[in-house]
Amino acid sequence: MDTSQLLKGVLDMAVLAVLRKDDGYGYDVVRRLRAGGLNEVGDASVYGTLRRLYNAGMLTSYVVPSEEGPHRKYYSINETGRVRLAESRETWRSFASTLDGLLEEVAA
Amino acid sequence: MNTQALGVEYYLAGMRAALDDLPPGEVAEIMEDVSAHVAELSTELGENETLEQRLGSPEQYAQELRQAAGYPPRTERLPVTTKGKLITRPRAAAWGLAIATGVTLLAGAAALREPAILLVPGVLLVLSLALVHDRGATQQEIMNLPETRRIQQWLTPEEGTPAERALTYLKSLQPAWWLVRAGLLGLGAVLLAGRDILGFLVVAAIAIISVFAGPRAKVDRRWLWFSLPASALAVGLLFQVIDVTANNLAYSSRNQSYPAPMTETYENIYAYDENGKLLNNVLLYDQDGNPINAQRQYYGCGGSDPQPMIPANRYPRPKIDYENGTCYTVTPSMSAPSSTPRTSPSSSGSTPSSSVPPTSVSPSK
Repeated sequence: MDTSQLLKGVLDMAVLAVLRKDDGYGYDVVRRLRAGGLNEVGDASVYGTLRRLYNAGMLTSYVVPSEEGPHRKYYSINETGRVRLAESRETWRSFASTLDGLLEEVAA
Repeated sequence: MNTQALGVEYYLAGMRAALDDLPPGEVAEIMEDVSAHVAELSTELGENETLEQRLGSPEQYAQELRQAAGYPPRTERLPVTTKGKLITRPRAAAWGLAIATGVTLLAGAAALREPAILLVPGVLLVLSLALVHDRGATQQEIMNLPETRRIQQWLTPEEGTPAERALTYLKSLQPAWWLVRAGLLGLGAVLLAGRDILGFLVVAAIAIISVFAGPRAKVDRRWLWFSLPASALAVGLLFQVIDVTANNLAYSSRNQSYPAPMTETYENIYAYDENGKLLNNVLLYDQDGNPINAQRQYYGCGGSDPQPMIPANRYPRPKIDYENGTCYTVTPSMSAPSSTPRTSPSSSGSTPSSSVPPTSVSPSK
């Protein structure tokens, strides 16, 4: 199954989850998602998701000067983002268990 | 390394172009993220590996980012949420063009009398074009202004509607208008030729260039800075020619309806000899032998009139008493003619009968 379709629906949650642990700049988030197992995540999708979450008021940002290249813009999750992440986790858990149940029936 | 830096710049420029319909503030934020990303990626690239291979084309990257960020598809413009500058170069240039075209229309209506007035819109056009002449042939920034979009919406009605059909028809007439415009401008130049040689040269040059400007403006919108005002000038000249012609027509028709000042003010003439004696039955003719007829016609004095065919230039004319149906001549005044023969006709004015005392009335019969 093509996981990129599944990923679209849950990328918000994945990005919030990664930032829940630690602040990060764009490429950093990409790498952490990939390290976590989401190998197919696209760079542009992550950057777009960061912008959307930021515009929705779930993230704040700050710039850290860099000696080598352009300044890095770090994103950090705020209270709104944390609440959203908690809601999403609940939704995901119940959704996943529902789907597990359905798949069990088919297998049986 | 240098080629890599160039590659980064090229890639970022491509992305910026693919996002340029978004609000400038949002684009700046995105580019801040992405330029750091692309710069970092470029240092990780191996031999013979390009940014495109890792990230896809700039357009694909922008497209994917748009979808993930929830932006509308390309060409649809987001409502400006971030604070945008109100007066931008494209906007100033667009309004400059619009105002200059309007001024040209007014100036065109006076250009034959005072060709130097064309300098006003001319300067305005040069200045406004200078603001955007380096922004490309399509002038996309001007086309993206809310006001230009509104105009475009008006000019593209739904298909099948009468408005759409009418517009399509008018558009098909455009090449014909270019020729008519050149003709009108040429006429203006000819009318100026005798009076203002500089004005003649300028308008003649505009007429010639306007033939090429129409089709050029279709592919390079910068030609609109010539084409639109040229149309306005042609229409202005047309107005002026119509105005002058109408004035001439009105003038000549006035002349026709009022033949001569003398007959305009007199309805009867009294001739006196040097002794102050009133002369009857005087026939008056002008230098060409034409009878001099006062304004009021002689209508005859009914069937019982002994002279039914009295010529209209025989003076003094009989006065008609309509109440009794009789004809009689009236002497203007008993005393005035002998003392002041010259002034008496004018003092009695256009209504000599009114100055006549009732006692002086003597029936002709």
